[in-house]
Amino acid sequence: MSTALALIDGNNFYASCEAVLDPAVVGRPLVVLSNNDGCIVSRSAEARALGIPMGAPVFQLRAELERHGVIVRSSNYGLYADMSQRLMATLEAWVEELEIYSIDEAFGLLHRPAGSEDLTGWGEELRRQVQRQLGLPVAVGIAPTKVLAKVANRIAKRDPRWRERGVFDFAAVADPDPWLAATAIEDVWGIGRQLSRWCRLRGIADARALRDMPPGELRRRAGVVGLRLQQELQGRRCLPLASVAPAKRETCVSRSFSTPVDTTAALKEAVATYLCRAAEKLRRQGQRAGTLTVFVRSSPFDGTAFYANAATTTLPLPSNDTAVLLAAALPLAERLFRPHKPLRKAGVILQDLQPVDLLQHHLLVPQTPEQQRRRDTLMAAVDGLNRRYGSGTVQWAACGLAPAWRMRRGHLSRAATTRLSDVPVARA
Amino acid sequence: MLLLCPVPEALPSPAPRPGAAIDLQRLLIPDPARTVLLRVGGDSMVGAGIHHGDLVVVERHPTPRDGQLVVALLADGFTLKRLRRRDQRWLLVAAHPAYPTLDLGEGELWGVVTHAIRSFSP
Repeated sequence: MSTALALIDGNNFYASCEAVLDPAVVGRPLVVLSNNDGCIVSRSAEARALGIPMGAPVFQLRAELERHGVIVRSSNYGLYADMSQRLMATLEAWVEELEIYSIDEAFGLLHRPAGSEDLTGWGEELRRQVQRQLGLPVAVGIAPTKVLAKVANRIAKRDPRWRERGVFDFAAVADPDPWLAATAIEDVWGIGRQLSRWCRLRGIADARALRDMPPGELRRRAGVVGLRLQQELQGRRCLPLASVAPAKRETCVSRSFSTPVDTTAALKEAVATYLCRAAEKLRRQGQRAGTLTVFVRSSPFDGTAFYANAATTTLPLPSNDTAVLLAAALPLAERLFRPHKPLRKAGVILQDLQPVDLLQHHLLVPQTPEQQRRRDTLMAAVDGLNRRYGSGTVQWAACGLAPAWRMRRGHLSRAATTRLSDVPVARA
Repeated sequence: MLLLCPVPEALPSPAPRPGAAIDLQRLLIPDPARTVLLRVGGDSMVGAGIHHGDLVVVERHPTPRDGQLVVALLADGFTLKRLRRRDQRWLLVAAHPAYPTLDLGEGELWGVVTHAIRSFSP
């Protein structure tokens, strides 16, 4: 018995999530917008069929969207995160080990029983069950390695011969070569834009050519990373499944503003808001930060001279206490602000992260274990309230009450699975 | 206060550690991935003990069985009724004399109602 890897991912995941608990949008063209309702980031199959392009700024398409009666939605991250959790919990039962790779994709390790080489039937059953139990369409690619599973998944989604089944297993075809030859070099997982350009210049235009090129040449250009990629294409597993996510090295929260920020007060509110979110993330990850960076930038498009800047400070003692981090961040925000430079985006990066169970002592910052414990209890209480009653239930005054710069989400669907007042109605 | 109205069907039997408090979450929602909550709107199911404003626990997509309380997805949205098999057809039957019986027809059988939760505190 050998093993295989499956890459399972949601088709049009955000758009599909919007339809799960909203009967009014099932079977209708729908698009989901990025932060601040800027660009189209997900399209339902129906919207795709209308030829609505991915990534297009929505203001350029208003007339077209209206003419076709396309439903427009802001990104509802709460809903997508909940559906993602449901999807991953369901997938766990179908594989030996699962690596959650992103909100809508996961690698699974499976046994390939001797005698029944082809796992297409397994994949089809998985798809059927996920569709029935969660209402989400998924695609499944199966291969000996991660890089090949990615290629297989792409075939399962796009190739007219396999699209209907939504599953492609390399073991189901006699010869992988034509399939690799039909995969453009740019579509190989892990190939950056620079490396693919370099390959193209050498006449290496597809996955098969990359697999068969002289390894020495590839190694000189792309090092071990390139070599690993090639071996994965040859069917040798070099990228193992990472079922436990590695400890985070840094945490970043940043957003674009819906309206330009042109006062110190507004910038400080925004930075405080992002910092509170970052500090909460840190506590959830069980970490403290030793270094804190604030960055800002203006719009590159508004005609004024572009301004981007960042400032960093090292904390006397690593912390995940919002009050401590705020006291460090707000002076940085003040320092970065320039009059007559309206800002479009700001962010907070927490670095130099370390686990909370690491004991820390510092001669210059006297804090008794008792004081430390009381601060920890306070933070846990704040996080508990915000988790239970919605984020922002308890917040620091520094964040402001009704800021004008807050992210625009004019077409947000309801929090149908995460807020009691938003639970959909079944007519009886 | 909560009143739990189990649908006449065996309750799942969670086996908690001896001495552990009863875990209502696990009792009502043994399989969270495919369970959703819906709010009942209307009184066509009062005869089955399901009232306007109740919260119902719905498990998605089991195999349909005659007599189950179900949520169906019809052209105009979610509908909660009792599923009946008659003459090779699936019918959606109300538990109130004033409401007509519907034919599932093109509609989708969306899930099965496993519990209804009624709150008596405001």
